[in-house]
Amino acid sequence: MIEFAIQYLPLYLQGALVGLGLTAAAMAGALVIGVLVAIGRLSSNPVLKYLTLAYVAVFRAVPPLVLLYIVYFGIPAWAMASESPALIALFSPLDNRFIAATLALAVNAGAYVAEIIRASILSLPADQMEAARSIGMTYPKAMRRIILPQAFRIAFPPLCSEFIIILKGTSLASVIGVTELMRNAQMIASSTFRNLDAYVLAALVYVVLVIVLQFITVKIEARMNRAMGIRSGR
Amino acid sequence: MAETDGIPVLQIAGLHKSFGANEVLSGISLTVRRGETVAVVGPSGSGKTTLLRCINFLVPYDRGEVRVDGELIGYREAPSGRKMQSDRELSRMRQRIGMVFQRFALFPHKTVIENLTEGQVQVLARTRGAAEELALRVLESVGLADKASCYPAELSGGQQQRVGIARALCMEPILLLFDEATSALDPELVGEVLAVMRKLADEDRTMVVVTHELRFAREAADRIVFMEGGRIHADLPTEQFFTAPPSPRIAAFLEASLGK
Repeated sequence: MIEFAIQYLPLYLQGALVGLGLTAAAMAGALVIGVLVAIGRLSSNPVLKYLTLAYVAVFRAVPPLVLLYIVYFGIPAWAMASESPALIALFSPLDNRFIAATLALAVNAGAYVAEIIRASILSLPADQMEAARSIGMTYPKAMRRIILPQAFRIAFPPLCSEFIIILKGTSLASVIGVTELMRNAQMIASSTFRNLDAYVLAALVYVVLVIVLQFITVKIEARMNRAMGIRSGR
Repeated sequence: MAETDGIPVLQIAGLHKSFGANEVLSGISLTVRRGETVAVVGPSGSGKTTLLRCINFLVPYDRGEVRVDGELIGYREAPSGRKMQSDRELSRMRQRIGMVFQRFALFPHKTVIENLTEGQVQVLARTRGAAEELALRVLESVGLADKASCYPAELSGGQQQRVGIARALCMEPILLLFDEATSALDPELVGEVLAVMRKLADEDRTMVVVTHELRFAREAADRIVFMEGGRIHADLPTEQFFTAPPSPRIAAFLEASLGK
């Protein structure tokens, strides 16, 4: 196991790097989607409210693996069949495995992130919005300057959990051939026939990655609290 | 007591507000002139806070009108009836109406000085330098010049509320609203906040103060408005209100609130 690990670790680390890259890209997308959907959910405009509610309902329900197949296999094939140059051009980036995986994971995680951010906004005392409005801020400005910065601090721990969930979800991208950690483990397993070693090592790399991530996020959280004059953790 | 020059800053007429089937304000009319301090008192649930919140339209009222400096707040007159003002129009009105909140409502992610410059820079488009200059002067006047770089969490409740008052003053409002500004404070911290409010009253600011502090009302207010059940039952000069309560109900309220 030890020599096996030493021999193949570079390939695993390479895969881990791809996985982290995919996670970061998907998380960035999920945050953009999440903020917009959360604001839509809290809007008094019924169209926005129900459209965003539908988004959350649908994309929390579709398993990420199914979404991955739809995005990578389904949509480009449908665009091709339509023979519309505009559609083909629009969806041609999905032929790229990495982009397809990023989109599928971001759309899925976006639904969860939206709920995290919505709950964080609702957890703020109502007088924060009132105070912002009372000094003459418009609703969008109050959101941007007063509400969202505070909501992000509250949302930070659950967003870190979401980041970890996405990281593990990147293993699904192996099925469309993204050469991330799981995909590399599969290739090593099939070329060495040492299935247990290959997959246990993959598991170990995931565990180490997640522990390191947790360590970093605890540090960031403590720093954010210090920046608000809160001394100990809460 | 303040010298008033008679120009009305706040005019409320026939104000009604219901939450569902529950009518909270049943026809309020009230005028506050420039330089006046009006204390609004009454038992809990009498509609005092709702009245205050209707003045800057944090609570949209149903009927009647609220005018600040002559301008109707919340609605726009149109030939087809009145329409709710846009976000932008409403925000422009609110710039001129300062509000002090029961639970301070400071922005916890910003330092004291940032709390005071936020509105000046973001809403009034002042330069950061000009905003900080005014902020420091106002902070000095509430006795907190040394706390400029603190975060709200590092201050006592009394200090936080003084920052809350300073934040409102930095917008240079023509009308100041106080929503039970001392009722969330520990008893020993109430005095420092009331002292700042009394100073503002002495400077002839125009103020509407919803309060349970009847002693403060007696010392600082020009007029007392007594509310109960969504109506104004008395609107009298301070001395007259306290020395000759206009009804047995008010006399009983005073007795219960002031003790003995």
